[in-house]
Amino acid sequence: MTAPSKAPDRLDHFALFGLPRKLWIEMAPLEQKFLQLSWKLHPDNFVNATEQEREFSLQRSSEVNDAYRVLRDPVARVEYLLELEGARKEGEHKQQAPPELLEEVFELNESLDELREAKEAGGDLSTLKARLEAAQKNFQEKLGEVDEHLQVTAQQWDAATEAKAGDNDRKAIMVRLNELLNRRSYIRNLVNNVAKELT
Amino acid sequence: MGRIVGIDLGTTNSLVAYTDPQTGAPHCIAGPSGSTLCPSVVSLDPDGSIIVGEPARRRLLTQSERSIYSVKRLMGRGVADIQSELKLFPFRIDSTSQNVIRIKLGDRLFTPPEISAFILRELKNWAEAFFGETVDRAVITVPAYFNDAQRQATKDAGKIASLEVLRLVNEPTAAALAYGLHEKQRGRVAVYDLGGGTFDISVLKLISTGEGDIYQVLSTNGDTHLGGDDIDNLMQARIREKILHEHRVDVSAQPDLVQELRKALIAAKHQLSEGVATRLRFELPNGAVFAYELSRAEFESLLRPIVDRTIGPVKQALADAHLGPSEIDEVVLVGGTTRTPLIRSTVQEYFGRKPHTELNPDEVVALGAAVQANILDRGVKDMLLLDVTPLSLGIETYGGAVAKIIPRNSTIPASAQEMYTTGVDNQTGIEIHVLQGERELARDCRSLARFTLKVPPAPAGLPRIEVRFLIDANGILQVAAKDLRNGQQHSVEVQPSYGINDTEIERMLEESIEYAEQDFSERQVIEARTESEAILVATQKALANAESKLLSTEERAAIDQSVAALKESVAGNDYKLIRKRIDELNQATTHLAELVMNGAVSTVLEGRKLAEV
Repeated sequence: MTAPSKAPDRLDHFALFGLPRKLWIEMAPLEQKFLQLSWKLHPDNFVNATEQEREFSLQRSSEVNDAYRVLRDPVARVEYLLELEGARKEGEHKQQAPPELLEEVFELNESLDELREAKEAGGDLSTLKARLEAAQKNFQEKLGEVDEHLQVTAQQWDAATEAKAGDNDRKAIMVRLNELLNRRSYIRNLVNNVAKELT
Repeated sequence: MGRIVGIDLGTTNSLVAYTDPQTGAPHCIAGPSGSTLCPSVVSLDPDGSIIVGEPARRRLLTQSERSIYSVKRLMGRGVADIQSELKLFPFRIDSTSQNVIRIKLGDRLFTPPEISAFILRELKNWAEAFFGETVDRAVITVPAYFNDAQRQATKDAGKIASLEVLRLVNEPTAAALAYGLHEKQRGRVAVYDLGGGTFDISVLKLISTGEGDIYQVLSTNGDTHLGGDDIDNLMQARIREKILHEHRVDVSAQPDLVQELRKALIAAKHQLSEGVATRLRFELPNGAVFAYELSRAEFESLLRPIVDRTIGPVKQALADAHLGPSEIDEVVLVGGTTRTPLIRSTVQEYFGRKPHTELNPDEVVALGAAVQANILDRGVKDMLLLDVTPLSLGIETYGGAVAKIIPRNSTIPASAQEMYTTGVDNQTGIEIHVLQGERELARDCRSLARFTLKVPPAPAGLPRIEVRFLIDANGILQVAAKDLRNGQQHSVEVQPSYGINDTEIERMLEESIEYAEQDFSERQVIEARTESEAILVATQKALANAESKLLSTEERAAIDQSVAALKESVAGNDYKLIRKRIDELNQATTHLAELVMNGAVSTVLEGRKLAEV
């Protein structure tokens, strides 16, 4: 089977909510707008309508829900913006360890292997678990750092958009955002894997 | 167009409800026995007719091989899925069943949607008798954690029962709707729904806007195979073991005894909601008597693991809603099993607040379904329900991995578009496998459908086919494909992995009509005649009573005249006329009934006085 890739959306999520393509979004007005659109477009209003109207309501209300799901999540929002601007394709970004983390990741994987072996052998797990918990905390902090970077870079994007900056500036910011997203997803997978082994 | 109703198609009991157009309040409709609960039991009579509800439940003891209960556990499932259930439930599955399960009742085979359709038809009959009009549309509730195949099977059951299913509503959401209307609740609400066979937890936000109230589901979780049935099975296993140990009698070898034991234990379970102990007593086939005192402590020790299993989904639902237990403003208990004191105290402890139990936990889901039915029917609206999909939707990618395209707890309708192309020159088809579940590998998720996208021959990588996956407001998947090079819409034939196709549904619909004894008006005439017989006999008896001498001549003449008129109408086929004459006779005999009643009371009193003297 062929690997699927994201198709371009017919309706841009930002436009659907009447928003500019910026990354800072106020939550309360977004929710208001979501409820308003849902009130008008939900299929429950069209049960006794024509086939065509029902189909329209189904398509439109699903677009509203899809858009709200993405826009209210700060990370999904960045990913979506990059896809929209053609700066990111799903499946293209490889899960590669960021070079400066290589050593720590290597150690972590070794500890994970040891823990699995010890679990099978039924040995004492407390020291290994303590080591992994420390590593997990360390990576969680790194995740926090990435999120801070992401926020700062998002602000730069919004500033560049407001200033109507040139293509090169915008592209440079998008490359940074893309790198941060990849790094975030890598670290998050690590943290999840450790959490799975520890429970 | 006929009337619309809300139906709770439950594992143990099913109910039908409607909304009073004057007051806007929902009410459950009672069946012929006067109860609003219709046991979800179906039995095939040796004469070939289908018996549903309480009479069928009684046959579980005498004709277990022709009867079935808890069929909801089999809805939308494949033979391979239910092997563990078969050890606990006396389902008689046809051995030639492949993907679709076929259940044996006597010498006939039925699919789970057909069995469910018999129950739906029975409820439809109850409602039609109540309204005196046909019922052709329904809102049916399903466990929130039901997957696509289970929802589709429920919708199919509606179709087979000649009901247009306007919406499938999640059970906890329906309960919240009923409570919201009743209590005018606002804020964040958790609904804990432990029924006969399924457990659901839903977290909702109730919002008042200028236009009306919005019930937004934030998250849902659950277990479609956890409920009161499991408690019954654990109790049964314990008692069977005791009987085997003490009397060397293997209960499981005797289906009738199994059913008798099951019935007694369900009664014991209900008693233990109030009392601290209950006595069990059975006569065994070898003449021995098994007697045992079951304490609440022993019962709760069996129940504890089941209650604990509900906590995992509760935690996950709260985490998905980004809320802690203390941030929940109201907790609502739904489902008969939540009458158990241990469950009430566990839920109260976890959320740190007393749960709502004001509405009858057996009826609340049906009431909510009736509220939603009314909203859909009227088109005027002051209320909106925004529900979510309980499970992530994914597609299989390289190496058997799953790419999630619609995450769980997405508000529905929800959709995702994926772009496909070919890998080799002149490739004419692309295989797509759609799955539902949270696991990372396709083999650990639920297979929903496999289909082949047809592609016109072209060099590799040139075709661009966009596939749109859409989960509709019922939580059911739709797929559409579009060739982006020419804008042509492809129809996609999605063959569900575990469902039945439209042709089969048509056939089942035809067969079910064959089973549905008579049409609506014929049935009405029969019921009206039966009722008139009863009232004529009662009147005759009352007139023979000494107290009837106290009637005035006019009163006596009026009664005689009404009796004659009713007898005359019964000869005809107009059920409305018969009902009118029954009412008239009822009115004419009001005073007579009073006289007879007074006479009976004074006799009793005199009798007592005599005894006292």
